[in-house]
Amino acid sequence: MIASILDGIVFGLQLGLLATGLSLMYGLGGILNLAYGQMAVVSAVVTVFAIDAGLPVPVAAVVGLATGALVGLVLDLTVLRPVYAQRGEARVLLSLLVSLGVALMIDGFLNWRYPLKGLSIRIAGGPVEILGEPMLRGSLVASGITIVAMGALLAFFRFTTLGRAVRSVIEDEQGARLVGIDPRKMLRLILVLSGAIAGLVAITRSMVTPVDVTAGFGITVFALIVTVVGGLGSVAGALAAGIVLGVVNAIAATKIGTFMSLVILLVVAAGTILVRPAGLLGVEE
Amino acid sequence: MLEVAGLSAGYEGGDVLRGIDLRVGDGEAVTVIGSNGAGKTTLFRAIARLLGISAGAVRFDGKDITGLAAHQVARIGLAFVPAERHLFPRMTVYENLVLGAYPARPSPDTMEMVLDLFPRIAERRRQLAGTMSGGEQQMLAIGRALMAEPRLLVLDEPTTGLAPKLAAEAYAALRELHAGGLTVLVAEQQVPLALELCERGYVLDNGVIVKEGSSAELAADPEVRRAYLGVA
Amino acid sequence: MIERFGDASGTSAVGGVEGHAPRSLARLVVPVLGVGVVLSLVPLWLGDSRVMMGIAVVGLTFAAYAIGFNLIFGSTGQLFLCVGALAGIGGYGGAILADVVGLPIVVSVAAATAAASLVGGILSWVAVHRSLGVIFTGIVTLVFALTFENLLLGLGGLTGGESGFFLEAGRDTFLRRQIPPYYLMLGLVLAALVVHGQLRRSRVGWAFRALRDDEVAAELAGVDVARHRILAAVVGSAILGLAGALYAFTEGRISPTTFGFAEVDVVVLVMLAFGGIGSLLGPILGAATFTVIDELLVEVGQLRVFLYGALVIALFLGIPRGVIPTVTDHLRRRRGR
Repeated sequence: MIASILDGIVFGLQLGLLATGLSLMYGLGGILNLAYGQMAVVSAVVTVFAIDAGLPVPVAAVVGLATGALVGLVLDLTVLRPVYAQRGEARVLLSLLVSLGVALMIDGFLNWRYPLKGLSIRIAGGPVEILGEPMLRGSLVASGITIVAMGALLAFFRFTTLGRAVRSVIEDEQGARLVGIDPRKMLRLILVLSGAIAGLVAITRSMVTPVDVTAGFGITVFALIVTVVGGLGSVAGALAAGIVLGVVNAIAATKIGTFMSLVILLVVAAGTILVRPAGLLGVEE
Repeated sequence: MLEVAGLSAGYEGGDVLRGIDLRVGDGEAVTVIGSNGAGKTTLFRAIARLLGISAGAVRFDGKDITGLAAHQVARIGLAFVPAERHLFPRMTVYENLVLGAYPARPSPDTMEMVLDLFPRIAERRRQLAGTMSGGEQQMLAIGRALMAEPRLLVLDEPTTGLAPKLAAEAYAALRELHAGGLTVLVAEQQVPLALELCERGYVLDNGVIVKEGSSAELAADPEVRRAYLGVA
Repeated sequence: MIERFGDASGTSAVGGVEGHAPRSLARLVVPVLGVGVVLSLVPLWLGDSRVMMGIAVVGLTFAAYAIGFNLIFGSTGQLFLCVGALAGIGGYGGAILADVVGLPIVVSVAAATAAASLVGGILSWVAVHRSLGVIFTGIVTLVFALTFENLLLGLGGLTGGESGFFLEAGRDTFLRRQIPPYYLMLGLVLAALVVHGQLRRSRVGWAFRALRDDEVAAELAGVDVARHRILAAVVGSAILGLAGALYAFTEGRISPTTFGFAEVDVVVLVMLAFGGIGSLLGPILGAATFTVIDELLVEVGQLRVFLYGALVIALFLGIPRGVIPTVTDHLRRRRGR
């Protein structure tokens, strides 16, 4: 039980970080990015190539992460441009459909060209005992990196002018324009940032379990569930929901199997939308 | 400082404003008065570039700003305070003010000036903007606009939803700013307050300017008195 | 299609375009008969090949899916991202009722269809009563679709899990022969077209279009928006469930991927986006085109998915209203001039 709770926390931290990216894109620009998981997968695949090319793992990881960010930038500059021309619900819907197309393109390409690529980063050293349970060293390193990244993200939004400017667009886009903030630039920043976040999650995840080229859709689904439960557009909500759902998932997976544990998460997500569309854990920021 | 020439603008399905000419000189305070639906908000949103223009031009310091976006206008010294205020409700008062100076870092002097001007919001620096009363939010909206050290302050009905005492307080602050040399353009339904602050005014009715003159002239005009000052 | 959902301001850019829907009976009968005649000739051409007939049946099944989805999404703006799941309720429901419970095939199919219809109706009822809007309806139904998929995998004892369910019922009947399944499915497609056409023609259909163009205007005109949404979902889901059930009995084997989101919903969305969301024959054109394209692309393997993705983007950004409405508008304008 303790082992699965610990595993759940490790996974939950990653889920929480993952969901912030999706949540920010939606909250800031009404972009529901179904290619989010594929951004993560692209990062993982590029990291594999960088490692194969002989780069040290940390450097390769940075290269992979930068690629994720680059994918975000490219999306912003290309297919999302016509999407930005739409407003309100029409924009969300078009973003959903267009990003679904992007997801298929990336999935199709990777499965066609590199069907067997998968990222699996091994952290040297034996298991470490935590609360009497042996934990993979990789899990601990992954959690450490994730926590640092979360802290950096929260500090960025809380204390920097740029971070505050991003939040202001979520709060009131017109108000942001009135003080001289260009919402389009903030949105571009968020796409780049969420690409990097997706990449970081893929890379840290691979320290626990391999991330292969077919993982994209599953990652998007997890991110979507956590985002919905945490509240679309809420960073703190996403982080909290990630940890809770990660633990629920881990316990359920050991008790009743992985498929049924996913069913539980999905039911929680559906229930959340019906009971509190703003998100169950949507903490007022 | 501001020149509006032959401006027509509106929303899908037709222009609300037709051929508006309006001028605000350096250091002046000018008001636009008119009833609900006369087009005041449309005019101001067009000036602040929140709304497309179908004909005419808006010049600021002699430069045509018709092609600029709202955030660019804000950066060149034209600050707009809309009637709905558009504050950032779940951010603190302090954060709202800091963002007012965006992209620059807020200057300590300006921050001090704003907090001195509005002691009520100075007390609430750590409070979330959305939890304040309407009057406090209005003052914060003006304060946030001032943080950019604008040369022209444009306000759309700053007394909307305010109790008379708070409306008077807001105007007292505006008078102080104007006395300090700030150029002001304000739309108002509470005409006496506006005429007291401003040197000149325009009367907007049904999308066209029907009258202009000094505040004294307007206050003496029988039609203005009947329609906007409640004098029979 | 995008602008049909309008923004909150309620300005409807395309309001008038599809106002002239087929009100006369001829404008329904002629296209349906035309489609029926052309498609009933297909076995004369491909009837010798078991493989080709199998593909043709799949094509018709997707045409039926697309009509069902069109009825729900195209006509009343409810983004049901659970086409595969609703069809799966029909397919798995029918298979389990017939093979495990032992009911006659006809009864199994009817019951499974009713179940799909009921589930679709409940989803719509929930969406309408919680005022979910397009996006949240999409998310809830997507979540439902994923739940269904994982339930199929999780309840492997009943469903056969990943390896799928092999149907005993109907094994030695006409359902598994080479040609009859094609006509059975064609009958369903034509019936579905007639149902959709009748709905479009009726006062209810007028309400549907009014609803799509401008909800407020529709409500002002005394249209019970909520009821029509739910009705569309019930009818559309029944078509989906029936198509899924018939497919299961004619194919003899179903698996979670038979009704998967990626395998069904994405494809149906592409077909409909191509043919024209909301138009009567859009689903037929879309299904026919993509069944052929799919065959042509078999050799490129996974690259097919890539091309699908590129096409989705091109379609939604390039001709968001689809081929049929774009072409008919063009013709109408030329005639009008």
